Parts: sequence; structure tokens; C-alpha cells
Amino acid sequence: MSSYIALFGNPNTGKTSLFNNLTGSYEYVGNWSGVTVEKKVGILRQHGVPIVDLPGIYSLQPLSRDEGVATDFLLTEPCSAIVNIVDASQLRRNLHLTVQLLEFGKPLIVALNMVDVAEKRGVKVDAEKLSRCIGAPVVPVIARTGKGTKELVRAILSLSEQSGEREHVAIDYGQDVEAAVQKISEQLPDDLLASKRWLALQFLEGNERIHAYLQTYMDIAPLVAVRDEAQQALGRPLAEHIYDARDKWIVHAIETSTVIFQQKPLTLTEKIDAVVTNKYLGLPIFLTFMYIMFMLTFDWLGSPLADLLDQFFSGPLTEWLSKLLTLVGASPFIQALVLDGIVSGVGGVLVFVPQIFILFFFISLLEDSGYMARVAMVMDRFMEAIGLNGKAFIPMIIGFGCNVPGVMAARTIEQPKERLLTILLLPFMSCSARLPVYALFAGTFFAKNQAIVVFSLYVLGIVVALGLAKLFSSTLLKNESSIFVIELPPYRMPQALTLWRSTWDKGKGFVRKAGTFIFGGSVAIWLLTYVGPKGIGVSMDDSFLAVIGGVLAPILAPLGFGTWQAGASLITGFLAKEVVVSTMNIIYHAKDMDLLQGAITQHFTPLSALSFMVFVLLYIPCLATVATIRKEAGSRKWTLISIGCALTIAYTISFLIYEGGKLFGY
Amino acid sequence: MVLTDLRQGQKAVITNLAITNEVVKQRLLHMGMHEGEKVCVKCVMPFGGPVMVEVDGQYICLRRKEAACIGVR
Ligand SMILES: Nc1nc2c(ncn2[C@@H]2O[C@H](COP(=O)(O)OP(=O)(O)OP(=O)(O)O)[C@@H](O)[C@H]2O)c(=O)[nH]1
Ligand SMILES: [Mg+2]
Repeated sequence: MSSYIALFGNPNTGKTSLFNNLTGSYEYVGNWSGVTVEKKVGILRQHGVPIVDLPGIYSLQPLSRDEGVATDFLLTEPCSAIVNIVDASQLRRNLHLTVQLLEFGKPLIVALNMVDVAEKRGVKVDAEKLSRCIGAPVVPVIARTGKGTKELVRAILSLSEQSGEREHVAIDYGQDVEAAVQKISEQLPDDLLASKRWLALQFLEGNERIHAYLQTYMDIAPLVAVRDEAQQALGRPLAEHIYDARDKWIVHAIETSTVIFQQKPLTLTEKIDAVVTNKYLGLPIFLTFMYIMFMLTFDWLGSPLADLLDQFFSGPLTEWLSKLLTLVGASPFIQALVLDGIVSGVGGVLVFVPQIFILFFFISLLEDSGYMARVAMVMDRFMEAIGLNGKAFIPMIIGFGCNVPGVMAARTIEQPKERLLTILLLPFMSCSARLPVYALFAGTFFAKNQAIVVFSLYVLGIVVALGLAKLFSSTLLKNESSIFVIELPPYRMPQALTLWRSTWDKGKGFVRKAGTFIFGGSVAIWLLTYVGPKGIGVSMDDSFLAVIGGVLAPILAPLGFGTWQAGASLITGFLAKEVVVSTMNIIYHAKDMDLLQGAITQHFTPLSALSFMVFVLLYIPCLATVATIRKEAGSRKWTLISIGCALTIAYTISFLIYEGGKLFGY
Repeated sequence: MVLTDLRQGQKAVITNLAITNEVVKQRLLHMGMHEGEKVCVKCVMPFGGPVMVEVDGQYICLRRKEAACIGVR
């Protein structure tokens, strides 16, 4: 049985940073609570030991879905040792979790992280003394730079060599509680993975997950009786009593082991917050940030770069390839497949890589600086009005990059209703895969106001999403109160390396999709244009693709783009939205963007182009998003509702835009 | 007095947490908002929006509705 070394710790203490350092992988890091929402497995470098990164938790009683992952891990999976990451600048709060993990009874090492932050605040922790106090090894580290990880690895390895359960410090909770623990332990079955004392204490504390867990093994009534009795004897809530006992122990440990050499508040964070979360400036600042992000992506920086890349693909690259193909004596069929199919299809999407990377850079900046949680705070009042809370804004921003991690990020939202709502509205967040479509159409028809037009599309997505949220929260999903509590991390200077890695990690997905999905899609689409009911090498209008797209054409006609070409690209766009552009490139035989733009001006008017962009924005979540929604919402019904809503809304709005626009004479 | 009576920058000591929503209460407790702790109001969002407070070096943001249930002295 392979058994894991598990990383536990409070949210935002650097677990994933440490995990990345230990395993050499790159998992998602960000400066807010709730970045990691799933269990991630890696291998300790050079030692082959499996190691698990988990979502951050404050205590072992889960309040949200991501926290449940961590508690369930303890209950159901074998782990040989626990590495508890503790934020040295927030010792007291962090040690409450440490105590509970110690009680769990597995070998434990404390990785004392953020010692740099603590020192800046004027706090110095003596690892040696702390270790003696809590009865577990303590290794100071700086997960961000990797300082101290060597020592930590050594400690981990020597710990897992020791066999058997370790002697650990037990807190004395007083006569009443200890008696109750004793009584409960006696009744627990012997074959459980977790230690009995720990189970008993968690049960007494009122941990519902443990309650449910025990219920599957035994009759819970006698345990409840013991709990009530203890409560009676104490005369105050058990949870409070247990908390106080731990707190006393912790305060003592901190007093013995830390020196406060200087009382320094978080001056930098306060100064930034004075502006950024200012009563009146908060919202305008956020909007300005978004505006600059869009201008840079679509106008100031992104477009010129995309043009350069396009020139390269259509010029030198195509020339080299065609020379090469002639040289090796490729048949005309292969030549056409490569040049008309693959280069047009894949290249047509790859030219947007610069724009997508700029967008991802800004999202990474938001994530790593500590601003993300502030955005949630600034937006909360508004979100409350539509039946959500500010935390839902974080998945929405992540959704601008890609909807899939956005849907996952909704796990941190505590209330099931608000979480479901957030998942449902996420597909309307305009992800980066839709960006090529906008860039193409807005660049063709609205060259002068490109950034504004695209910005309005993003806004339209948000407005539709929020409108839908309001609708659902006041009809189908009523009766559950909305709540909002969030921890605001101190600002941290984003490091160039982290930013780059985070940007690259997101952008990589896009490039990889171009190499796999879009490559395969391009080949398939080209083949569909090459063969038709009447044979091979037919003209495009007689091809299978035209037949398939033609089915949709009459339905789409009232929206202004009733051609088989539009129908075909929308169908293929369900795979991934950038495929819309690939398909058009292939269908219109366009070697570069200029030619494609020329071709689409013949089939679209500015009005129908706008209607088309709106339709692409809203019409359906892509395949990967649908799968994720199905998994996260855990319901086929809601997945279908999500798709149905998207189609209906897209059709209605595009219809209104096109027909309305015609009335006004456009 | 309750937390919402404090002005920006004012400090006080928490005397009781009479929050009815269990999840919110648990969250605040986990983040270190306990009776006897010092709090300082850092900022208040407009239109009845949330408030940001500092407890033990930790910044926490909560809604005004809940802040109004936290007694301070
Ligand atoms: N100054 C400093 N910053 C650190 C250190 N370790 C991590 N960070 C930063 O702290 C933030 C949180 O790091 P993560 O690794 O995402 O934290 P996490 O514990 O995995 O967070 P969740 O997954 O949300 O629970 C990031 O911005 C890191 O760059 C450290 O030792 N010193
Ligand atoms: Mg993490």
C-alpha cells in the first residue's frame, strides 16, 4: 500500500508553494484563501515518496466543499506522515489546526513557513523551543524561495523511517471532557483508520463530518447521550470549552518560543488598502484596472503582436512548408491537407497567443498580489443584491481565463445554493478561447473601436450572468440565506518568476489545445470540406460540412448569419470555442487574417457580425466546461438547464440585436 | 455597543458574538474573532456593504448585518 505524506495547513499559508518546491511540479499558487480546491498528488524529488497537497482548512470541521476534501482525506486515505504548514506570522490561529492534527496521532512535522514575513513584522520564532513545546519537529522554511526545504526533506524522511505511533503531547481538557472522551473511545469500533481520542474529541466538538462518519459504523445515540451529559456537567458549550483549553496551551507555547522584538503593523498593506478599498474609489479603481487590461490585450499591445505573428505564419512559414512538401514529393492531397487544413486551422488560432498571454498575465497579477480578495469585498454589496456574495466574483475572474478552473473555484463558496448559482453563471464569463473570435470579427468590422466593442461583449457576458443569477435566486433557488466572510491576505509583491510561471501555465493549455484538439479538429473539418455526398474533392458547397451546417442555416437566418458556413463553425465550436475561427479559416480558404477578413466581409455585415459575436459569447459552454459542470454540480438536470439557458439567451439576444438593428437602419 | 458603531480606525474589545448563522460564526471563530480579542475597524464599504476589521494582525471582511451582532466595548 503506497501511503502518502500529506500537506495540511490553514488557507494561504504556502502549502502549494512548498509542494511545488518539494515535487518540482507547478500547481496553482495565488495570494488568497482557497486557491487549491482539490487533492493534488506529486512525488518527492529524488526520493520517490508520494506527497499530497490539499485545500487549506482552518479546522477539521469542513464548512465548504474544498475543506471537505481535506477532512475526507484524513478519514479515508492512508497517510504515513503529516506535514503541517504553519504561518509564522499567524501562529496562534495556525496552531489550533496543529493541535487537532497532533491529536490525530500520525507522525507530524511542522513546516514553519513565512518566517520572512514574521520577521518583517517583528516576530521571531525559536523553532527549537516551539518543537519542544508541541512535541513535534519544527523546521523553518520560506516556501516562496525554497529556503529550508532540504532540511525539511531530511526531517520527513527520518520521520517516516521511525515506525509505530509516536508519543505526543496531549492537552488535558479537564475532568468532564476527559471522562466523556474515555467513554466514547470505549464504544468506538477497533477497525477505524483514525485515532479514537481524536474521533471522540472531534465528535464532542460538534464536527458534523465526524458525526456522519461514525454513523455509518455504529449506532450514534449512546455517543450523543455522552456528549449531552458532558455538556450538562460543564454548563457551557463543549466546543467553546475545548477551544479555550487549546488556546491556553497554544498561548503558552507561543510565549515560550517567540520573541516579539518590535511591534510593527502591516504598513504597506494598510497604505495600499487606504486607496484600493477606499469607500468611493474602490469600485472605480477595479474598473480602471479591467479597462487597462482590455486595452492592452486588444489594442495597445496585443493586436500589433498578433499581426506580426500572422505575417510570419502566412508568409515565411507557409512558403517554407510548401517548398518542403514539394521537395519530399508530397501528393497534392497531402499538400492541400497541410496548407489549407492544418496551417489555416491551427495557425489561425495560434496568432492570438500574444493576446491571450497578455490577458493571462493580468489575471495572474490579480491572483498573486492579494487584490483578488479585495475585489470580492468591493463587489459584495452588489452581488448581495442579486442573491450571491462577493466570493462568487473570484471564480468569475478566473473564468475570464478559462471557465473550467472557474467552475472548480466555486468550491470555496459555503452555501450550496450560492455555489450552484455561481457554477451556472460561469459559462457566460467570456473565456480566452472566445477571444480569437472577437479579435477576428471586431478587427474586421470595428477596427477603430475594437477594444470598446470587445469590452462591451465582456460586460454583456457579466450582465447576462448576473441577470440570470438574480432570476434564479428569486425563483428556483430561494430559501437559503446568502453569507459572506472572507479573509484578506496581506499584499505581496508578485515575483517575476511566479508571475511568468503562472501566466505560462495558463497559456500552455491554450497552446496545447492548438496542438491537439484544434489540430485534430482542423484535419477533420478539412476532410469534411473535401468529401461530400457526391464524392471526393468536391467543391466546398457540395461537401458534407455544407450539408451539416446547412441544417442550421435556416434557424440562424433571423440572427443575420444564416449561412452553412456559420452553422458549421458554431457546431464545431462546441468542442472548443477557438475552433470557430479555425473552421472559418478552412472554409473560406484563408491563408492569413487579411484574406479571412476579406472573405467574411462578403458574408457578414457589421450588424450580423455583432450578432454573431454575441451568439458565440453566450451560446453554449464548451465541451470541457459542460463536463466540469456535470461533475461539480453533481446533477444532470442542472447541466441541461445550463446548456438550455445558454442557447435560449444567446438566440434571444442575438435576435434582438439583429432585428432591432435592422429597424434602426443599420 | 456593537461593531458597526465604531468609526473607521477605532479600536475596541469583543464582548460577545451573537451571530445566528452558524457557518458565519464558525468562520469568524476560526479566523480568530473571539471574545476578549481586540478589533479595529479598517474600512466600511458604501451602500451598506461589508466592513473590514483587523483582529490579531489578521484582516477579515464581514457583512454589516453580522457585524451588528458583535458586541464590543
Ligand atoms: N513572503 C512569503 N510569501 C510566501 C511564502 N510562502 C508562500 N508565500 C506566498 O503566499 C501565497 C500563498 O501561497 P500558496 O502556496 O498558494 O498557499 P496555499 O497554502 O496553497 O493556499 P490555499 O491553496 O489557498 O490554501 C502566495 O502568494 C505565495 O507566493 C513565504 O515563505 N514567504
Ligand atoms: Mg494551495
